[in-house]
Amino acid sequence: MNVPLTTTETTFPSLRRMSVEEGLRAEQSLLEEVCEGESDKRILAWQPSDRALVMPRRHARLAGFPDARERLEEAGWPIQFRGSGGTPVPQSPGVVNLALAVRCRVGSSAAHLEWGYHRLGDPWCGWLAELGVASADLGPAPGAYCDGRFNVRIGGRKLVGTAQRWRRVQGCRDMALLVHGAMQVEGNPAELVAVVNDFQAAIDDPQRFQAASHIALCDVLPDLDLEGTIPGLLKRLMTSKDVAPA
Amino acid sequence: MSTAITVPEDLWEGDNEGVITAWLVEEGSQVNQGDLVAEVMVEKAQYEIEAPAAGTLTITKQEDEVVAKGTTIASLDA
Repeated sequence: MNVPLTTTETTFPSLRRMSVEEGLRAEQSLLEEVCEGESDKRILAWQPSDRALVMPRRHARLAGFPDARERLEEAGWPIQFRGSGGTPVPQSPGVVNLALAVRCRVGSSAAHLEWGYHRLGDPWCGWLAELGVASADLGPAPGAYCDGRFNVRIGGRKLVGTAQRWRRVQGCRDMALLVHGAMQVEGNPAELVAVVNDFQAAIDDPQRFQAASHIALCDVLPDLDLEGTIPGLLKRLMTSKDVAPA
Repeated sequence: MSTAITVPEDLWEGDNEGVITAWLVEEGSQVNQGDLVAEVMVEKAQYEIEAPAAGTLTITKQEDEVVAKGTTIASLDA
């Protein structure tokens, strides 16, 4: 059973290991719990125990999707769907996912997608700086898969991909935000890029992505005790202020 | 009586346009007030669109169409 952190807890448990299907479902339940008023903030860190290529459901409408799904499944990368936006992202035991659900007031500076990305990304950069990686920032990584304006980057290369889902809270003007980050911690980024490029080829999309646009945490911190340091990231994410300055 | 389903003006801030990424209810279906009917994506952020009233759904903006805030994307006939 998934037991996300709440603001009232003072300890910060580390990574949970679960299948990609379980992890995606657990992230979705964070948003539901915030909407139902069980907490105004929930967080989860999880690492896949299996592999999948995860994408928004709209990709299933692509003409070549059924064949692509079969091809990826045969290669050991079954396709799964997620509730946040963006494009295909590989999930594997070499990836760590963090999901934060926060309740926001519409019309406040908090209810803004840019704020949501900073709400996740700024503490992430602070955590990296604490570990000695001073060059981390938020921005695009041209050539990366599922690129956006708010990746966590190291030296301009994508370390963490980010995406969001927003839901209106019933009976009031509040919104609930689920913001998610996926960070490759182990392995060669080229291997994950190749999976996405295989999907691109299978759906007959000419766009290809570049391994040089990605970086894994092990590239910059090869001796990092991940289990020991993830609680520090969770703490930063849970204790950041939820109202951005006007 | 017909009720429009619009992309709420306060759904996100700024002037960005979104894309209808999914209709979660089929054309002609009966929906209840508050049902989740569609998803609109802006910058890798998915926003959920709910039915403002009960009724039979008529879709006017299809999946993958670009929409601004305030755009009518469907109607509900009670």
